[in-house]
Amino acid sequence: MRRNTAVESHHFAALGTNCSLFAADRSRADMLEGEFWVRRLGARLTRFSADSELSQLNAAAGGWFGIGEDLEAVLRASLNAFEMSAGLVNIAVLPSMVAIGYTRPLSEGATVATLDTARPLRALPDVLSVRRGAARVASGSALDLGGIAKGWMADRLCEVLGPNALANVGGDLGAVGAGPEGNGWPVAVAGATLMLRGQGAATSSVRRRRWGAVHHLIDPRTGLPVRTGLAEVSVVAAGGFQAEVVAKTALLIGPELAPAYCAAHALAWWLGAADDG
Amino acid sequence: MRAVLLKVGATVLTFATTAMAAVYVTSHLKNSAAPLRPTVLSATGGATFSAAGGSLTVGPSVQPSDVQPVTSTYAS
Repeated sequence: MRRNTAVESHHFAALGTNCSLFAADRSRADMLEGEFWVRRLGARLTRFSADSELSQLNAAAGGWFGIGEDLEAVLRASLNAFEMSAGLVNIAVLPSMVAIGYTRPLSEGATVATLDTARPLRALPDVLSVRRGAARVASGSALDLGGIAKGWMADRLCEVLGPNALANVGGDLGAVGAGPEGNGWPVAVAGATLMLRGQGAATSSVRRRRWGAVHHLIDPRTGLPVRTGLAEVSVVAAGGFQAEVVAKTALLIGPELAPAYCAAHALAWWLGAADDG
Repeated sequence: MRAVLLKVGATVLTFATTAMAAVYVTSHLKNSAAPLRPTVLSATGGATFSAAGGSLTVGPSVQPSDVQPVTSTYAS
C-alpha cells in the first residue's frame, strides 16, 4: 500500500563536490545537523589540509598515531575494501596522486605530473595497521581516502538522518527505509530510475577529475592512472560503501571480467565503455 | 496364567502404541505443495538493456520505476 510521507531535502557543497540529504519526518534543523556532520568529518579526513587528522597520520608515518573513532572506522573499512577487491582498492595511493600532479583540490588546478616516480602500491595490510584508538602508516607510504570516505559517510549519514532517509555524498548514495511513497527512494542510475531501499549506489569514472591524458583513478598494480576498456561504472549494492568498492573494482578489472564480478557483488550495475575502447 | 496375562498385556500395548502412532502421523502429514518461506528469488539474474552508452543490468532485488528521481549517482 502506497503512502505519501513529508520529505525534507537539503543540498550543499562540501568535500569538493555536491551533497544532498533527504529524510522523511525530519526537521530543517536535522538536515543542517547532517550537513555539519559532513563538514566536520570532511575536515578531519581530507588530505588537502595539513591540519587534518588524516594528514597528521600520514606525517607520523613509521610510528603509531592516536586517531578518533571515525577515522579508525574508515581505516578499518578501507582494509575491508582491500580484501573485498582483492587488492585493487587501496587507499595507500597518495604517492601516486602526488606523482600525477593531483597535489591540491582540482579547483586550484593540477600541478606538474612526474609519472616516472610512480610505483606499484604495496599491499594495504603491509603499510597500515589499526588498533583501538591508534593507527600506523609505514614509512614511505601515505593514505588518501578518496571515494571510500564518501561511500562510508553516505551510509553513516543514513543512520544520522533516521530510519527513512537518502544521502548523496558526491555521487555515493545510501538509502534506508521505504522512501516517500513506501516503495523505495527513486534514484537515477545511468538514465534509469531505480528504487533504492536499504541499499546504496556509487559511480566510478575516469571521465571526471582528469587533465590532459591523466586522471585520478590509480591502478595499484602500476601506480599509474588505470587504462581499461571501461570509462565509467555505476553500481547498486547493499550500501554506499560496498557500491563504491564494487564500482571501482569493476572499472579497474576491465570490461571482460567486470560483468561477472558485478553479477557476484552488485544488485544492479551499468558499465560504460571507454570512448576509445 | 500370570505369564499369559503378561503376554496378552504386552501385545495389546504394542498394538495400541502402533495405532496411536499411525493416527498421529496421519494427522501431521507434510504438505509437499506448501510454498518455501522465505521465497527464493529467481536465479535467472537481472534484465540487461542498453542505457546511456553502456549496458545496465538490474537484478531482481532492485525495482525499476518511471517516477522522477530525487537524485542520482554520478562521478565527482
